Amino acid sequence: MAGRSYLAQRVDRLRGSQNADGGWGYFPGKASWLEPTVYAAMALHGEPAADRARGLLATWQTGDGGWRSSASVREAGWGTALCVSLAYGCGEASPALDKGVDWLLQSVGAETNWFSIVLGLIRRERDFRLKAWPWKPGDSGWVEPTAHALVALKQASSHSPNSALTERIESGEAQLFDVRSRDGGWNYGARAALGVDLPSYPETTALALLGLQGRNSLDKAFDLARQQLQETPSPLGRAWLTIALRMHGLPVTDLSGALNNEHDVMITALEALAAAEGNHWFMKAKKA
Amino acid sequence: MSEVKLPPAETGPAEPTDRREFIAMGAAALVAGVAGFTGGRDQKHLVAQTPAIALPFTNQTSKVAIIKAASYSHDLESRMLQGLRECKLEVRGKSVLLKPNFVEFDPKTCINTDVAVVAAALNVFRSLGAASVVIGEGPGHRRDTFAMAELTRYRTEIPQFDSVFVDLNRDDVSVVNNFAGRKEFFFPNAVMRADLIVSLAKMKTHHWAGATLSMKNYFGLVPGSIYGWPKNELHYIGIPKSIVELNRVFGPKSFAIVDGIVGMEGNGPIQGTPKPVGVMVMGNDLAAVDATCCRIMGIDPAKVEYLQMAADQLGVTDNTRIEQIGETIASARSNFQLIKEFSHIRLA
Repeated sequence: MAGRSYLAQRVDRLRGSQNADGGWGYFPGKASWLEPTVYAAMALHGEPAADRARGLLATWQTGDGGWRSSASVREAGWGTALCVSLAYGCGEASPALDKGVDWLLQSVGAETNWFSIVLGLIRRERDFRLKAWPWKPGDSGWVEPTAHALVALKQASSHSPNSALTERIESGEAQLFDVRSRDGGWNYGARAALGVDLPSYPETTALALLGLQGRNSLDKAFDLARQQLQETPSPLGRAWLTIALRMHGLPVTDLSGALNNEHDVMITALEALAAAEGNHWFMKAKKA
Repeated sequence: MSEVKLPPAETGPAEPTDRREFIAMGAAALVAGVAGFTGGRDQKHLVAQTPAIALPFTNQTSKVAIIKAASYSHDLESRMLQGLRECKLEVRGKSVLLKPNFVEFDPKTCINTDVAVVAAALNVFRSLGAASVVIGEGPGHRRDTFAMAELTRYRTEIPQFDSVFVDLNRDDVSVVNNFAGRKEFFFPNAVMRADLIVSLAKMKTHHWAGATLSMKNYFGLVPGSIYGWPKNELHYIGIPKSIVELNRVFGPKSFAIVDGIVGMEGNGPIQGTPKPVGVMVMGNDLAAVDATCCRIMGIDPAKVEYLQMAADQLGVTDNTRIEQIGETIASARSNFQLIKEFSHIRLA
């Protein structure tokens, strides 16, 4: 691999690990899953491999407009947001995409109910009026699916703005601020447990920053993200932090080095997206 | 994708068993205008009554080995072998999945099953003639499992770790029918295909369940790729009920080795403090192992809800029917600090 660019190593690895059905598994030789398939399709945008991937993903859209996470799973879930972002990045405009956006608008964390809202107001712990997104229907909202949904809906809003999108985006952004850790970053979505503060993580801080594109007053989070980028041993964390800082227009040192785990397709794809010449623009989100 | 059909659950009716489920069910009660729901943490002792039917473990006894190991630098392999032999565990020809607990990392404390215990188990099960031995875990909070494995020194100290490790959060999956009232529930193929799952748990207190031991360790079998980070579906099912359901499905092909060389007390499972106990606790009956660990920790297993539910349905928790091998509970007992919410589970 010596002498070949950071990006070239990764896209070559992706080209060589695509499944016959057009998708990618989380690891080579495994069944195709939505998440690595979307990231790999973004990384290889413009190549026939990416078109085959989009062809497979089209078959995974459910009747209600969402996308299921693999051929094994019947119910649509959080990956719908990734498919919407992929479609916008590819310049798609279709009823299927509109249905995906509608699915995201309907998807709400189960904690947003009257009982929790009242309890949250009494305890002053959380504002459960704010609508986050769950990993799967019927569960609570968490940072990562919320961040991806915000990116997707902001992209939708920049194409065809409407009040439903604006309202949901504002509520989702406010929810992210509501669950922000005291250190200025984000973990999976809990500020504290039994009154004890919980720290943020690099990967979820990065994702929250992606979801909050276009918002001001994030300087503390940017400082933390830069620090996490220096310190984290996680290639996943470094890739997401690099993408997030790039999306906010902030200077960031290009990633370097060999593949940390050449078997991890998802991280390989995210590292390819994070590269200076990578297709990180798929994650760009502007409010209308 | 394969489907596995299982017998119906024999646990009691779904009742609110943790705060989230309490909130969700309370909300449903409010919406329906149903008064009288007064549940909360104190009500935990009232729930999960098992139906009055003959229970499979009512007249059985179980063996649990308490093996001394004062530190991780001791010869853990020979001590582990001693425990496995005492429990008469058959390993030859089986595909074995070692399931450690590495849920988070904090250098200031001891959240995870120590790498020395995992490395020793890998060698021991290989030496006993297992057809294959892999290590699998699906951390509940962090997505980069291999980076976690690096922080916990698994990746650096276990030779060729990447080739023996399965990230259970991102493995391919198969369906289990009728899990906790869900028509279908997905589990990693590495878990479904294993002949023997070894729960390599850590001896810790837990701020929602009271204690986290070999049975709770199976939360890490649930794939994040479908259920997310954290595995919120289990919270909606209820933590004790989820523990029981996971063990109803996988307990029959399980063995437990609990790392109590250094446990965690106080605000576990992540923010507690190290508690040296100097033992490994092992056995074929995970409920019996956990009940024994509780007694070592100074916790009354009869007041730990998931063990109440598991008692005589999934295993033996009554100390008169657990044959203790090796050290006695009394010689190993070292009361773990409990947070005030769980002060009532202290063993007299």
